[in-house]
Amino acid sequence: MKQVSASIISNSEVMPGVYLIWLESPQVASEAKPGQFVMVRCGEGSEHLLRRPFSIHRLDNNKLALLFTVVGKGTHWLAQCRAGNNMDLLGPLGNGYSIQPDWHNLLFLAGGIGIAPLCFLAEKALNQGCSVRLLLGASTATQLYPRHLLPAEAELIITTEDGTAGREGLITDFLPDFVGWADQIFACGPTLMYHTMAAQSQQLLKVKSVQISLEVRMGCGLGVCYGCTVKTKNGLKQVCKDGPIFDLDDFTGEELAYNY
Amino acid sequence: MTASGTFGYGTEYSHMFDIQRLGAIVCKGTTLEPRDGNPQPRLAETACGLLNSIGLQNIGVNALIKEKAPIWASWHVPVIVNIAGETIDDYAQLAGKLDGVAGISAIEVNIGCPNIKAGGAEFGADPKSAAEVTAAVKTATSLPVLVKLTPNTSHIAKIAIAVAEAGADAISLINTMKGMVIDITRRRPLLGNITGGLSGPAIKPVALYMVYEVAGAVGLPVIGCGGIVTASDAIEFIMAGASAIQVGTASFTNPRSPLDVLQGIEQFMQQEGIDNLTDLIGAARH
Ligand SMILES: Cc1cc2nc3c(=O)[nH]c(=O)nc-3n(C[C@H](O)[C@H](O)[C@H](O)COP(=O)(O)OP(=O)(O)OC[C@H]3O[C@@H](n4cnc5c(N)ncnc54)[C@H](O)[C@@H]3O)c2cc1C
Ligand SMILES: Cc1cc2nc3c(=O)[nH]c(=O)nc-3n(C[C@H](O)[C@H](O)[C@H](O)COP(=O)(O)O)c2cc1C
Ligand code: FES
Repeated sequence: MKQVSASIISNSEVMPGVYLIWLESPQVASEAKPGQFVMVRCGEGSEHLLRRPFSIHRLDNNKLALLFTVVGKGTHWLAQCRAGNNMDLLGPLGNGYSIQPDWHNLLFLAGGIGIAPLCFLAEKALNQGCSVRLLLGASTATQLYPRHLLPAEAELIITTEDGTAGREGLITDFLPDFVGWADQIFACGPTLMYHTMAAQSQQLLKVKSVQISLEVRMGCGLGVCYGCTVKTKNGLKQVCKDGPIFDLDDFTGEELAYNY
Repeated sequence: MTASGTFGYGTEYSHMFDIQRLGAIVCKGTTLEPRDGNPQPRLAETACGLLNSIGLQNIGVNALIKEKAPIWASWHVPVIVNIAGETIDDYAQLAGKLDGVAGISAIEVNIGCPNIKAGGAEFGADPKSAAEVTAAVKTATSLPVLVKLTPNTSHIAKIAIAVAEAGADAISLINTMKGMVIDITRRRPLLGNITGGLSGPAIKPVALYMVYEVAGAVGLPVIGCGGIVTASDAIEFIMAGASAIQVGTASFTNPRSPLDVLQGIEQFMQQEGIDNLTDLIGAARH
């Protein structure tokens, strides 16, 4: 883990309100694993005291990409950053997803911006020779992560809540169709999605492992402040240090109903 | 120094920069038993501030003595253990356990905690209970005792005098100020605990004023804390009468902040031709 000043190579709006930013940082890129995140300083001075956590979206040699939705002050500031500017990063942080060596059929569930960490993981899985099926869900067609940016070898199943593209509904509605095929499931999306998955766990339990990425407000990102603590079946965990990747099984449905 | 609760046990930062160059490290608030802390959400960013309701989640004093103190014993930088209790006896027991442990240089007593026996009012809001806690800790340990004052009182100087008379070796201030944030879309308080403690630049003028008040009221060394981000913030506290300062929330923005502040003070002294920091202490008091 390092604190670095990374130079911005490009920053572009890939869907309305969603930006893809490429950064040059050999130090972070060389250590990064899928599912890990960076803490980004947004703005200068004392306006935004807390760094914002963002998953590492993908890697390319010395470069790394972040994918973010503009939701508030910090992400609004990030969207204004231009190529040539520098970004103050802390990372890579957290544990990351783990692919079991002898499991081949990997099912990915990306709810909305949840595609962010899964792209990097899918690339790694495909490189290792795994089969990847990606259930990609969005509220509407314009909010779907562009096909040409996804790894070509991944089999894509699209869902939209309003039916403007792919199947109509939530990705979790279609999960039962694919569970039988999967050895392992990797998910990233809103906590509500995990809550639904936990309720489906009768079927899901047949899968050997379901890993999810949890989103909680963070102070330090380093395990120092205890701002990100959550309750799990195995006691209290710090999402920044013990997570952000957990087994779905670590939580009771009630814990996932919690609005972080 | 680093402020309690914002620098963990020091170990988390030791690979990021040379923490040994700091004046002291104050560790996370420690209680007799491990504590779970408050429900989520625990953090909310506010205008130039941070509201937290961690609820003193910590590993407990026994784990601290077993796992952390041996690491500290090999460091040059002194480590000060911040303690918190619910009763006066808790504080006395904590101080007793820490006495004589290698790697621990002093105790900082957080008296901003609710006194369970007095209906949950903060010890530090009442001169009498503040003095009782101080005296109990002093009796239980031979280590230097810093008492950390809470700003959530209308008579900070009276508290400081009571604490000084009860035998404190130094006074640090301020802890966080009570505050809240409301989530207007959900029509409910944002923090799981409803209220939290405000820190960061938003509280700096209040902290500075309280340091000024307390430094004028007692003869003890005063350690200033609250919203310090830059060396010039720190120098303001020193000129108000602080002999040392603590950097808290700024470490989240930039982990190197404590060292940057220290180096900035050294630079200022060089520029101004000052050899000894004591020449600056209280320089703005007349
Ligand atoms: C491990 C992790 C990985 C993440 N990865 C991504 C990603 O790849 N892409 C992406 O778009 N978003 C991601 N998020 C969510 C992202 O951190 C928030 O959307 C962002 O912090 C919002 O900042 P803001 O200043 O725009 O919002 P504001 O609402 O102005 O932020 C105020 C405060 O609340 C915190 N906050 C607000 N919303 C969230 C949230 N949903 N999760 C955590 N903290 C929040 C902010 O960090 C800040 O401290 C991730 C969160 C976590 C915990
Ligand atoms: C997340 C967090 C945790 C804290 N925990 C403690 C604690 O355990 N004990 C304590 O005495 N003060 C604690 N504090 C208060 C700080 O030590 C400091 O007094 C306060 O934040 C004001 O300084 P600052 O504005 O530089 O942060 C905490 C502050 C924060 C932000
Ligand atoms: S964000 Fe500070 S402990 Fe996890």
